[in-house]
Amino acid sequence: MQNNNSPVPPPSLFRRKKENRRGITYTMMLCGNSGTGKTTFANNLLESNIFPHQFSHSEYMDNANSLSSKVKIIQPTKVVSFNSKDGIPTYMAEFDPQRSALESGITITSTSLEITSASDDTENAYVSIDDDIISFNLINTYGINENLDDSLIFNEITSYLEQQFDIVLAEETRIRRNPRFEDTRVHIALYFIEPTGHGLREIDIELMKRISRYTNVLPIISKADSFTKDELKQFKKIIMNDVERFNVPIYKFEIDPDDDDLEAIEENRTLAALQPFSIVVSDVKNKEGKYIREYPWGTVSIDEDNDVSDLNILKNVLFGSHLQEFKDTTQNLLYENYRVEKLSTVSKNEPSSQSSNTPNDNDRLNTNDAMLKRQSAAPSLSNFASLVNTGHFNSQQSLNMNTVDLPVTPSLNHSRNNIKEEDMDSSSDHYYEHQAKREIEEGDSPIKQMSHDIKQGNEEIIRNIKIESSSPRIPAKGDGLNDIAERSKLRNISETVPYVLRHERILARQQKLEELEAQSAKELTKRIQELEKKAHDLKLREKLLKQQHKNGSSSSLLSQSRIKKDDTMTDLASILSKDQ
Amino acid sequence: MSAAATATTTAQPPVGVSNLPNQRYKIANERGGSFTLMVCGESGLGKTTFINTLFQTTLKHQDAQQRRYTPIKKTVDIDIIRAILEEKNFSLRVNVIDTPGFGDNVNNNKAWQPLIDFIDDQHDSYMRQEQQPYRKVKFDLRVHAVLYFIKPTGHGLKPLDIETMKRLSTRANLIPVIAKSDTLTAQELQVFKSRIRQVIEAQEIRIFTPPLETGSVKDDESPDSPAMEHARQLIESMPFAVVGSENKYDNGQGTPVVARQYPWGLVEIENDSHCDFRKLRGLLLRTYLLDLILTTEELHYETYRRLRLEGGNSEDPNLPVKAPARKLSHNPKYKEEENALKKYFTDQVKAEEQRFRQWEQNIVNERIRLNGDLEDIQSKVKKLEEQVRNLQLKKR
Repeated sequence: MQNNNSPVPPPSLFRRKKENRRGITYTMMLCGNSGTGKTTFANNLLESNIFPHQFSHSEYMDNANSLSSKVKIIQPTKVVSFNSKDGIPTYMAEFDPQRSALESGITITSTSLEITSASDDTENAYVSIDDDIISFNLINTYGINENLDDSLIFNEITSYLEQQFDIVLAEETRIRRNPRFEDTRVHIALYFIEPTGHGLREIDIELMKRISRYTNVLPIISKADSFTKDELKQFKKIIMNDVERFNVPIYKFEIDPDDDDLEAIEENRTLAALQPFSIVVSDVKNKEGKYIREYPWGTVSIDEDNDVSDLNILKNVLFGSHLQEFKDTTQNLLYENYRVEKLSTVSKNEPSSQSSNTPNDNDRLNTNDAMLKRQSAAPSLSNFASLVNTGHFNSQQSLNMNTVDLPVTPSLNHSRNNIKEEDMDSSSDHYYEHQAKREIEEGDSPIKQMSHDIKQGNEEIIRNIKIESSSPRIPAKGDGLNDIAERSKLRNISETVPYVLRHERILARQQKLEELEAQSAKELTKRIQELEKKAHDLKLREKLLKQQHKNGSSSSLLSQSRIKKDDTMTDLASILSKDQ
Repeated sequence: MSAAATATTTAQPPVGVSNLPNQRYKIANERGGSFTLMVCGESGLGKTTFINTLFQTTLKHQDAQQRRYTPIKKTVDIDIIRAILEEKNFSLRVNVIDTPGFGDNVNNNKAWQPLIDFIDDQHDSYMRQEQQPYRKVKFDLRVHAVLYFIKPTGHGLKPLDIETMKRLSTRANLIPVIAKSDTLTAQELQVFKSRIRQVIEAQEIRIFTPPLETGSVKDDESPDSPAMEHARQLIESMPFAVVGSENKYDNGQGTPVVARQYPWGLVEIENDSHCDFRKLRGLLLRTYLLDLILTTEELHYETYRRLRLEGGNSEDPNLPVKAPARKLSHNPKYKEEENALKKYFTDQVKAEEQRFRQWEQNIVNERIRLNGDLEDIQSKVKKLEEQVRNLQLKKR
């Protein structure tokens, strides 16, 4: 593998050493049409069988322990986002030929792992220096290109990516930051291209374009063992042409002419020439512990056939040479752009309330009292605090709570809050109705899990508000008025922005869940009806057959032979009409 | 026919009745045959290569150059390739129908509609020709077999596959094949095949199977005859896993074979342990070509004809409705496009009109300006003439 590489670590490593001692967080997303080997690649990458293949989840539960010594699962795979037209999740479903005509929707899962590299082998030489720990987050997507209509998936994936940016943004603007905050921004997305030999499709281009706003996109040709050498060369060319022709902003290994590190330049040049990487993956090991694909006409060793598979180079790029690079571009370019965009839209809403707020500082100083008065009418901070203290709140109220996310803006926001509260009341009523219904219908669905997550999110917000509100609010009186105004403005932003972001997200999520639930309820009733109809038909048929038995054997023989002929139509109605 | 009668015909010198098959053979030999094959499946699954492999000639060229300039949003096209194949003085007219663009879009709902319409249209046009007073020459493009290419994902069938196959199977002989099966190892292929079979059964997709019962009826063929055995083998290996290639390589024993050359081995197309290509070709051309043609004639065409002539009283949406009802304009996809085009057209017309009006205005303005200029000049001329006259007067 990397044995032949020089022992000198790449320059990026020196920078990386400066990273905090807690280890490096690194998030990777696997994206692309289903059936292109994303799951197998994930297993290959970690050199262990962690991720089950489609339709064989139960088998994997048993041998989930086949982990490599370097990998530790921190948080097992969980569904983080899900959407489907009929509202019924199919992730983890067993293979069911009856149901395979239904659209599978899209599921995004996340798995947290810890990769330690203390082990003696030299394979991941770069990672193992300093006994580094990478807390590695793997986001996988299921169901792309499995639906009749794939337009759902774009929003689902981008909104997930955007959420991660929002979380970081919220954290940044907070006054008291969470010391154990985890950065879940996706640093790199691998886009698996199907080995068609024909270039990119509409969905590839569209999806890559969309996610490239939030992450680095690295296109990869999967299942490269379906190409002969020449075909692969040709296909790579076609892909790069298409990327250029449709302006797909993929990650490019750019050569910085000012960079004095010749080695890095050379490396980037070769990588750029190799792009898009082609890979062959497998999770079948041979006796020597090497991953192979065994065909009747020969055996492919995925690590060794370097003409076809760039897997080693890719691994090296992902975990070695360009890890920091990917993180940097995410932080400095993509996230910064997003932040500018977001803050300029959020703060547009703010000034109106601030302009009414900042001039009269006396009001500002009295906010706490004013708030207390105001809140006695509406369900908000004051009684919420008491509720929390007495442990007397249920989630119904907590939903109402989080609308009071702007505690420091009095009059103007008050009306806004009221409107919101009304909305929330009606919607939350619906929500709970649905939830109650659903709890009867389904046992342990991802939807339920997600709604639980939302509840937790709400509670967390409330807790935060509580902390914020209990912290000393009135600044020392010795400060100049101007100073206070300035500071309050800053505080205003830092207090509101995270909550506004969070609130928006939760609202959106809730809405989505409601829709999903309504759909799934509808779908389920539809299915029940279908089944009933089928049962009815079958009964009818049975009756008919019984009748035939009664009507002498000769006629029944005739009609049966007829049925046989007509069976090709598989049309019950035609049989019925024939016999009458 | 009684046993005694048969005995007499065999004992005496033959009348020549038994020569009938030979006469038939002669006629068939002179007329040649006609076979229409449709290939269907997402792009990049090797449909074109497969066709070329099947007939061992380049029927259709890989037009990579042309593809470069097509827009990314694609519609399902119908390409018809006609060819005449000659083998031992027997000629077979082959029509291959390709469906480029199927399943290439983000929204593939109704992507099967053009295919279904095409098949129905062929039935329809044949029926109309039959009803004509003169019907000696018939233009017949009824699809005898549809090869549906399944993507080798190793997972299962997608909803698009199922929907399309369901609809195709009520109209033509459907033969599902696993495309590019050289990306699946033997074990994966086995699992994949069994899943596909299960889905096909559960979803009531009627695929073409070699007729099994004919053998058991005739007494000269026992159920275990080679033909039966062959048919059973074929059914067992369905859906066929195929690999296509147009190039020949040396197989190591000095004979060139059609194959795909990988660094790790040579995939021989005609090797039964590598793929089911030979079986499929046997089914399509060698053994069951006539069966395919006859079932199309007797089953699918008859079904269509019956339904059409009985009138549209059938409520099953899967069955063909009256032809006028499913013209192109009724396809929702085309409707959308039509609307978009109409809007574009009116917009363009408006823009043009605007431009013309602008021009007109400009021209009018120009005319006014020029008229003004003219008047100025004329007045100047008048002034000058006046001056000249004045001067002349003064001179005198």
